[in-house]
Amino acid sequence: MRRSYSMLAASFVAGLLIAAGPLFSRGSKADLDVRGFSRLPLLEGGRIKPIDSFARNSLLVIRGQQSLPVDKHRLTAAHWLLDSMFRPEAADTYKAFVIDDPDVLGLLGLERGKERRFAYWQVEPKREEIRAQAERSHRVESGRRSRFQTAVANLDSRLELYERIKNTVMVNGADDPVREFESFVKLLPSALKAMHGSAKASAADQKATKSLTEMLDRYRFLASAAAFKPLPPRAGEHPDEWTNVGEAAMSPAAAADPHPGLYAYARMAQAYKDSEPAAFNDALRAFEVWLRRERPEALSSARSEEIFNRAQPFVSGMTLYVMALLAVCLWWATRRAEVQSVSTGLLGAAVLVHTLGLCARVILQGRPPVTNLYSSAVFVGWVAALLGLFAERFHKKGFAAAGGALVGFCSLLVAHHLGSSGDTMEMMRAVLDSNFWLATHVVTITIGYGATFLAGALGVSWIVRLHFVKKHDAETSKALTGLTYGVIAFGLFWTFVGTVLGGIWADQSWGRFWGWDPKENGALLIVLWNAAILHARWTGAIRDRGIMVMAVLGNVVTSLSWFGVNMLGVGLHSYGFMDKAFWWLVAFAAGHFLIATLALLPPRFWTADKA
Amino acid sequence: MRPNTPWRRLVAALSSMRLTLVCLGLMMALTVICTLAQVPLGTHVAVDRTIRTFLVWWQPEGSSLQIPVFPGGGMVGALLFINLSLAQFMKLEWSRRKFGLWVSHLGLALLFVGEFSTAFFQVESHMPIEIGQTRDYTEDYRRLELAVVDTTDSERDALTSIPESIVKAGGEIAHPSLPFMLRVKRYHENSQFHMRGPTDPPSEATLGVGASLHMHPEPPVSGEGEQNAASALVEAVAPDGRSLGILWLSNALGAPQGFITEGRTFSLSLRARRYYLPFSLTLKEFHHDKYAGTNIPKNFSSLVRLSDAGRGENRDALISMNNPLRYGGKAFYQASFGKNDTLSVFQVIQNPGWLIPYLSCILVSLGMLIHFGLKLAGAMGGSK
Repeated sequence: MRRSYSMLAASFVAGLLIAAGPLFSRGSKADLDVRGFSRLPLLEGGRIKPIDSFARNSLLVIRGQQSLPVDKHRLTAAHWLLDSMFRPEAADTYKAFVIDDPDVLGLLGLERGKERRFAYWQVEPKREEIRAQAERSHRVESGRRSRFQTAVANLDSRLELYERIKNTVMVNGADDPVREFESFVKLLPSALKAMHGSAKASAADQKATKSLTEMLDRYRFLASAAAFKPLPPRAGEHPDEWTNVGEAAMSPAAAADPHPGLYAYARMAQAYKDSEPAAFNDALRAFEVWLRRERPEALSSARSEEIFNRAQPFVSGMTLYVMALLAVCLWWATRRAEVQSVSTGLLGAAVLVHTLGLCARVILQGRPPVTNLYSSAVFVGWVAALLGLFAERFHKKGFAAAGGALVGFCSLLVAHHLGSSGDTMEMMRAVLDSNFWLATHVVTITIGYGATFLAGALGVSWIVRLHFVKKHDAETSKALTGLTYGVIAFGLFWTFVGTVLGGIWADQSWGRFWGWDPKENGALLIVLWNAAILHARWTGAIRDRGIMVMAVLGNVVTSLSWFGVNMLGVGLHSYGFMDKAFWWLVAFAAGHFLIATLALLPPRFWTADKA
Repeated sequence: MRPNTPWRRLVAALSSMRLTLVCLGLMMALTVICTLAQVPLGTHVAVDRTIRTFLVWWQPEGSSLQIPVFPGGGMVGALLFINLSLAQFMKLEWSRRKFGLWVSHLGLALLFVGEFSTAFFQVESHMPIEIGQTRDYTEDYRRLELAVVDTTDSERDALTSIPESIVKAGGEIAHPSLPFMLRVKRYHENSQFHMRGPTDPPSEATLGVGASLHMHPEPPVSGEGEQNAASALVEAVAPDGRSLGILWLSNALGAPQGFITEGRTFSLSLRARRYYLPFSLTLKEFHHDKYAGTNIPKNFSSLVRLSDAGRGENRDALISMNNPLRYGGKAFYQASFGKNDTLSVFQVIQNPGWLIPYLSCILVSLGMLIHFGLKLAGAMGGSK
C-alpha cells in the first residue's frame, strides 16, 4: 500500500516537472536580448499584450505554427518579428506563407511540390493581382464564396498583416531610422516657421519645409500602416491612448518633447540592422526603465503573459493526458497496483497543469474562464478530466480515469486547432461583455458539455470492453453503467441550468427568453437527449447497453450543437464562424455511429473462440 | 387499477412514460427541423412554421395544396404538458424520496406555460429614435397597416388604422370615421418601384408619386435582415360613387400622398403598424464605445427621458446592452443604431409572462439538486 502511495506521489511530481520543462529552457545563446524585447507591452486588438503574444499569433495566422525553421534552426516568433520589422530583406526570404489552394498557386505561377510554404519574395511579383482578386471576393457574401475566393482573400489578409508588421516601427527598408528621426525633430521648428508664413522665414527654412514634407509623408504612412501600437501613454495620460510610431512622431508635442519610446525603438532597429547586440540591449534597458516608471502595470501584465506563453500549459497538459491514458491501459494489461498509482498520479498532474493554465488565463484576461470557442474547448476538457478523476475515487476500475484523460486530451487538441485563428484572448463583442453572464450561463453550460462528453467516453470504453475482454464480468459492467448514469444526470442538471440561464440572459439583452435561435436549439437538444436517456432508463425501455449507446450518441449531439450550429451562420449567436472543422465534425459523428453499431452486435462477435 | 374502460385507457396512454419518450423524440426532431429551416427561411418564419403551429405543413412546389407532414411545436408541447401533469398526479408517489422530482417537474410545467404565453401574448415591435426626438409609439416591421390620417386640424391629427389582413383580403373598405370608401384593387406582398420609363405601360395610379412610377411584383422574402416592400393599389371612392383618385401605397414609398375632399385633408400610407404608448421617450444621448485602437464595439447605451403625464413620471433612464428599461408592461432593449451614431433603435417587447422562466429555472434546478443529491449520497454511502 505504502509503495502505491509513493509511486503515486512520484509520478505526480514527475508529471509536474515535465510540464514545467519549457519554463526553464534557455532561449538562443545569442547575446541579443530577444526575450527582453518580447516582453515589451503593446496595444493591439483592443488589449495590452506582450510583443511575444502578438508575434506568436501573427506567425500562427500566417504560417500555422508558432515558430519558423530557417537554415536548420528554429526561429522563435519574437525573432521572426524582429527580422520582419528591422531586417525585412532577410524576412522576405523565409518560407512563412502556407498556400494550399491549387488555384491560388496557379494564379501565382508557383509549382505545388513537396513544399507548401512560400516566401514573401515568391509572392511579391503578383501582389497587385492578389489584392485585386481579394477585392473581388470581398464583394461576394462570405457564405457564398468559392474555395478559390476564400483562399485568395485569406492570403491577401495574411500578406497585408506581414506588410503592416514591416511598416510598424520604420518604413520598410529605411536606412537609418535614428538619424532620420533626429533630423525630423531638428527640422520641425524652422519648418513650422516657414509654414506659418513668418516674415523671418529664410531660404533655409523653406528648404527645411520641403524635406520635412517628405518625412511627414513617411510618418503619415507609418501611422496608417502600423500593425500595433508600441508606445504607451505617459503616467497621468488616459490609459487607452497608446500610439504607434507614426502617430507619436507627428503629434504636436513631438518637437518639444518626443516620446522616449520613439528613440528607443529607432535605436533598437538601428542596432538590430547593424548586428550590435550591446547597443540593442542598452536601448531596451533604457526603455524598460522608462516603462517601469510611467506604465508599470502594462509592463508587468505583459511579462506575466509572456511567461504564460512560454509555459504552454495546455500543450504539456496534452502530453500528460496521453501518458495517463497509456498508464491506465498498461494497468489493465498488467493488473499491477503500482501501475494504477502511476496512472492516477499522472492524471492528477495533468489536471493540475490544466487547472493552472485555466487560472492563468482567467487572471490575465480578467474574465471568467469561457469567453470564446477556444476557451470553451479548454474548459470542457477540464471539467471532464476533473470529473473523471473524482469518479475514479469511487469506481476504482480505471474507466473514469481513462475517459477523463481521453476527453481532456481531445478537447485540448481541438482547442489547439481553434487557437490557430489568432489571439485567443480577444476582446468581447458588446453583447457578450458581461462577466456575470459569462460566469453563470457560459460556465454552467460548458460544464454540462464536459459531463456529456465524459459519459460518451465511458460509453465508448464500455463498448470496447464488451468486445475485447474475454471474461464476462457483470460487476464491472454494472459499476460502469451506474457511473455513466450518474455522469449523465450531472450533465442534465448543468445543461438544463445553463440553457435556462442562457434564456434569461437573452431576455436581459434581446428581450426574449427563448427565440429558437440555432445555438439555443443546440443546447436544448442536449438537454432533451440527456432527459430522454434518464426517462428511457426509468421506464426500462433501455438497459445497460441502451444507456451506453445513447451516451455515445450524446457525443454526436453535443458536438453538433457546440460546433455544428456555428457552421450554419444564422442567428444572433453566430459570432464564431468557422468552416474548416466541418469534415472533422463529420468524421467524429461517423466514428461514434460506428461505435454505437458495434455495441448492437453480439459480444465478441469476431473472436475466434466462442466460449 | 386495470385500464378497462376507454376513458381509463386514454388516461393511461396519456400518462405513460412511453408517450414522454415519444414526445421527447418528436421535440428533438422538431428542433433539428426548425434549426435547419432557418438557413433558407430566416428565424422568424421558420419558428412560425415549425414551432408556433399545431401542425407542420408542407406545400408541394407549384401547388396550393397544404399537406400536414409533422406535428408542430404546439401539439408536441401540449401533449408533453398533459403527459407530464397526468403522470405526476396519477403515477408519481408523494414521498420524500420523490420530492425533488415533484419540484423539478412543476418547474418544467411552468416553463411550458411560459412558452405558450409567449406564443400567444408576446408583442414585439421597434422604436427608432434620433437624438432630440420624442416618440410615443413603437412600430412592428413585420405587420403593416393602412393609415388614413385627417390632417385638417393643424393641432391634432385623426388617425384611422386598417390592419394589413383586411387590405390583403381586397374588396371595399368602409369606416364610419371616413367620408369615403377605399377600394383595394391590387395587393402585392413584395414589390419594387422604379421611375416609369418611356417603354413602361402607363401607371394605374392617378394621384401621388405612384402616378410616375412603375410597379413590379417580387417574390416575398423572409431571410435575416430582408424586408418586404408591400404595395397596394387603392382607389378612394366618394359616397356618391365618384372616384377621388387611385394611389399606389407602399411601405417603400416615403413621400406623403393624399387628397382633399369635403374640405378635409387626408393623407394615406401603408406603413409599419404602430402601437401608441401612454407615455413618451426622448433620446438625449447615444454612446457607442469601442475598445482602444479598434472598431470592436464595447458597449452601446442610450440616455432617454421618460415622461408619463398620466402617472406623473418624468425622469431619465439609461438603456444599454444587457440592461433594458422596463416600464408600463413593456421592456425597451438597445437593439441597433445608425445615422452616424445619432439614431438609436430599441426593441420593444410586451410579454406579461416574462417572469415565469425565472421561477421555473429556480424550481427545476432545485428539484434536480435535491433528487440527484439524494441519489448520489445514497450511492456514495453504499459504495463504502
